[in-house]
Amino acid sequence: MASANIKVRVFRFDPSVDKQPRYEDYQVPFQAGMSAMDALDYIYQNLDSTLAYYDHAGCALGICGRCTGRINGKPGLLCQTIIAGDVTLEPLSAAVVLKDLVVKTGQ
Amino acid sequence: MDRVIETDVLVVGGGGAGFRAAIGARQRGVRVTLASKGPLARCGATPMAGADFTLDGRSMSQIEGLAGDPNDSPEKVMNDIITQGCFLNNQKLVEQYIRRAPQCLRELIEWGIHIKISDQRMIFTTGTGIMDALLRKARAVGVELLEDITLLDLVTDDGAVIGALGLDVRSGDFIEFRTKAVVMASGGWHKAFWPTTGMRDLAGDGLAMGYRAGAALGNMEFITFCCNVFLSPPAWMGSIAPYVLSLLAGGGRLTNSLGEEFLQKYDPYTVKVGITTEWNKSFISHATMREVREGKGSPNGGVYYSRGDVPWEKIEQVAALMCPDWRYKAIDLSNWGQMLKNNEPVEVGSAAEYFDGGLVVNDRFETDLRGLYAAGECALGAFGANRVFAAITEMLVQGADAGDNAACYAQTAKILAPGRETLFSLQAAAEEPLRRSDGLNPAKVRRIVQEAAHKNLGPIRNREELEAFRGFLENVRREQLPNLATQSKSRIYNKEWLDALELGNMVQLLEIATVSALIRTESRGVHYREDCPLTDNDQWLVENVVRRAGDGFEITPRPVTVTGMALPTGKTPYLEFMKKMMASHSDTGGKH
Repeated sequence: MASANIKVRVFRFDPSVDKQPRYEDYQVPFQAGMSAMDALDYIYQNLDSTLAYYDHAGCALGICGRCTGRINGKPGLLCQTIIAGDVTLEPLSAAVVLKDLVVKTGQ
Repeated sequence: MDRVIETDVLVVGGGGAGFRAAIGARQRGVRVTLASKGPLARCGATPMAGADFTLDGRSMSQIEGLAGDPNDSPEKVMNDIITQGCFLNNQKLVEQYIRRAPQCLRELIEWGIHIKISDQRMIFTTGTGIMDALLRKARAVGVELLEDITLLDLVTDDGAVIGALGLDVRSGDFIEFRTKAVVMASGGWHKAFWPTTGMRDLAGDGLAMGYRAGAALGNMEFITFCCNVFLSPPAWMGSIAPYVLSLLAGGGRLTNSLGEEFLQKYDPYTVKVGITTEWNKSFISHATMREVREGKGSPNGGVYYSRGDVPWEKIEQVAALMCPDWRYKAIDLSNWGQMLKNNEPVEVGSAAEYFDGGLVVNDRFETDLRGLYAAGECALGAFGANRVFAAITEMLVQGADAGDNAACYAQTAKILAPGRETLFSLQAAAEEPLRRSDGLNPAKVRRIVQEAAHKNLGPIRNREELEAFRGFLENVRREQLPNLATQSKSRIYNKEWLDALELGNMVQLLEIATVSALIRTESRGVHYREDCPLTDNDQWLVENVVRRAGDGFEITPRPVTVTGMALPTGKTPYLEFMKKMMASHSDTGGKH
């Protein structure tokens, strides 16, 4: 099923320790019909388990809305935005980040 | 301790059972705090549900604006729930379900749910609509609501629950709860399996912590798999949209990797009932898994669904109701719409969906542990060996009574502060994966456990596989769980840390379910043993009740609780007994 890798660039920032955000690139096997969250799941499970995105109680099916972020600059749900190639994943705004792609409550 | 919260009734779980329990308790005038692991009204299984609320048609017909078959009766529903459950049901809890359902539906309507369909004995609404209504009501009556808070363990004193240790998932802070009563409403433990239809929070924390604190678990071997769940593309995996559509459209075409319509090899009556009613979960999941196990499965371990001879107009009609503009929840299914129109197959399969067993409760929803109540999917409920009636009704009728009874208990109980040393040792144990400098990656171990659970504890089982899986789990418990280490040591939203904490609960429940499945040397409902293919009513009309004993657990048989319906005798082949149960249905029609 998996074919060539794609490059997934992810916003990383832990305001409790980092002075400023940075971006990290990961090589992820591409599958047709994969969402941005499928890519994050792959990274978390196989490449870098320090990555934070709202997952512990997320629905991954477009119901809870907690995975709202920017996919190649455009706002959307990470779990329901299908990716077609190299992609950049960011929070809606760096100012409201709790950690990486997880934003503070009420934002 | 980072934070202390005192309340009279602590409700653990932010799905329908938890919210209904919190509302019920608060209406008695006591202080109520509800801890939701994820977003308020958007976590747990409820928001994912279709969702149907079932009750007896006569009571339904007396509610203004609803259909409902006036010839239906509580006796007919009792007959149907118990035959669907293959007689393993706790009949007291079936009676409670039937008695409480009409009032719970009236309330839901009063609190503002939108009804899409009403038929002989059910209304069809949405899980998110139910949660929105419950959230508004909980706020109106003054329930304290906490989100992104997970509970790690209960604290007891002199045989009664007096508090709990919680974790704020966002900050990583510990929370000490002081309470007079706890209502466990934590739902199922879908996360122990992959794939699954559940939200990502359902790790069985509530069952495991209740069990650790001294409550009994029962019938843990009964795990319902939903059929016709999307297995591809990846973004749709786990969605039950094809299940809902195939049920409402009344069929479709299921084929294996050889293109064979495999349902044709089964008894036509069983197939008809098994497609057009919610018997589909047990029957089609069984049939699907047989194809997969015989090497005739799809790449992701399933089969293929297309509309077959269901007219496109019928599909459009159903889709307009369940997924207007081909959007199901927020999933864009327009590609699938095209595929259905062209009669092209999509890959579907069976996935863990509902847990029939759980914390053992009496008809007041009290567990063995004083002050601990349980409601909804985490409780050993009304459905016996197989659920066809609605889990939505179950969560509300049980939540209502559990909340009410817990509040009455709390009115006379005292607040006791949990002991410093107890809390300190619980915190220290929870922090181990954070402190360990080097060790195993919790996410990797989790995924291996989940895939093994799907393979070995699915709709078709046998001794050899169960024994091997038991050995595998024992190894994970002894060799891997004590060596889990997070790579990041930050306490803030640390996914690895939560994975490590949840994994202990999941492995515990899987071991209990596996041994329960090994002990039950028969086939019944959603538990089928290739090596014991008979439904054995002479020996096995008992619940497997599990309690802690020493370092492990012991399982004791408990006879089924009978009130009105006599139990059958004799041994019958599995599918033959299933057909008999299907045919015992009353004359009320519908999907249930």
